[in-house]
Amino acid sequence: MDLTPRTAGESGTGAKKKRNWLPIAFIVVALLSGGVVVTKFLTSAIDYYCNVDEVGVRSGCNGDRRIRVQGIVKQHSVKSVDGSTEFDMTYNAKTIHVVYQGDPGGIFQECIPVVAHGRVISNTFESDRIEVKHSNQYVEKNKGRLAEANKEAAACSASAG
Amino acid sequence: MNSAVTTPRGTGTRNTRILGVLTIALMGILAFCGLVASGEDINQGSTVRIMYVHVPSIWVAYLAFGMTAICSGIYLSGRNRSLIWDRFSGAAGEIGVLFVAVSLVTGSLWGRLTWGTYWVWDARLTSTAFLFITYIGYLAVRRLGGTHRQRARRSAVLALLAILEIPLVHFSVNVWRTLHQKASVADPNAKVALDGLMLFSLFLGLIAFTMLFAWLVIHRQRSLALEDAVSNRGLDAAIEARREEAAN
Repeated sequence: MDLTPRTAGESGTGAKKKRNWLPIAFIVVALLSGGVVVTKFLTSAIDYYCNVDEVGVRSGCNGDRRIRVQGIVKQHSVKSVDGSTEFDMTYNAKTIHVVYQGDPGGIFQECIPVVAHGRVISNTFESDRIEVKHSNQYVEKNKGRLAEANKEAAACSASAG
Repeated sequence: MNSAVTTPRGTGTRNTRILGVLTIALMGILAFCGLVASGEDINQGSTVRIMYVHVPSIWVAYLAFGMTAICSGIYLSGRNRSLIWDRFSGAAGEIGVLFVAVSLVTGSLWGRLTWGTYWVWDARLTSTAFLFITYIGYLAVRRLGGTHRQRARRSAVLALLAILEIPLVHFSVNVWRTLHQKASVADPNAKVALDGLMLFSLFLGLIAFTMLFAWLVIHRQRSLALEDAVSNRGLDAAIEARREEAAN
């Protein structure tokens, strides 16, 4: 019985093994996507925001360029003026006035942490994007609602410093 | 190539059928607890109910990728190097990718309703996206071709490297500043921050999704065994045909 390897061109044996390109394509796409994600991580994700008290102080938090600023919406500061929303945002006893063009919507409210995108112009943070940063605390709505509201208001006043 | 692949007639057994029925029953109870019995959140309202799918999904993904790594380690370290470990590894990897996808989609919907946007490039979301892409790459590497043992060896090495991303994803919210919240339960330094029935529903979700994972991984491992058996039969037939050809 002859089981020696066949040579190319031999009758019925010259067909090349068909390579499956689909997994290779997936690997290439995965590598490219991974590169994009790592780039995003290095340019954006390491620290997503600056706190209010770091604006103009911490490296990378200069208000003359576009930044993201995090703070708590100060109680009784939210106003709607000519289609824009104005409020004060506080953190570590520092406050910045924010003007947002439009209505933030969603669960935006007083005493809640938010991240505003924009830049500082004449001591005002001109924002075109607001993201609400919900906490890791979950409280049922109908359970001691008044007590929770009072507690939150007290905490908000304290954090507003 | 003549591996010890058994060829069962199907992927179901009495035990997996019992597991399947229990999983469906628990999913029903979860749906009741998550949608009806548990209350709305004081800030997020009904949106909070997404948590009962979102958190269990990423938990199952962690579990699946952990299993992928453990089975890969056993395969590489074992003397007989049984391919059953490779098949469990591959099955868990596939299911893990599926559940990361579920977690990303549900998280994106939750983000739109609470943050006001579907996606941000913060450390948690970015590292989760990277995890997803890495394991898609892992699944692609498994299908590159070659013998079953070549597939098992190269994918096992990749699985042992990829598992290092799990701590990066999980602790990203503690290490970096993120829009994503910190852990409500799985943080050893924090008190549990969910009201009673919310916490119960979440744990019910974790158990139900874990049982679903077990059911899926058992069936998928068995179907992979059948695929290997079919491929071995094809190879055996090709060798036999070559022998006959050589004899003539």
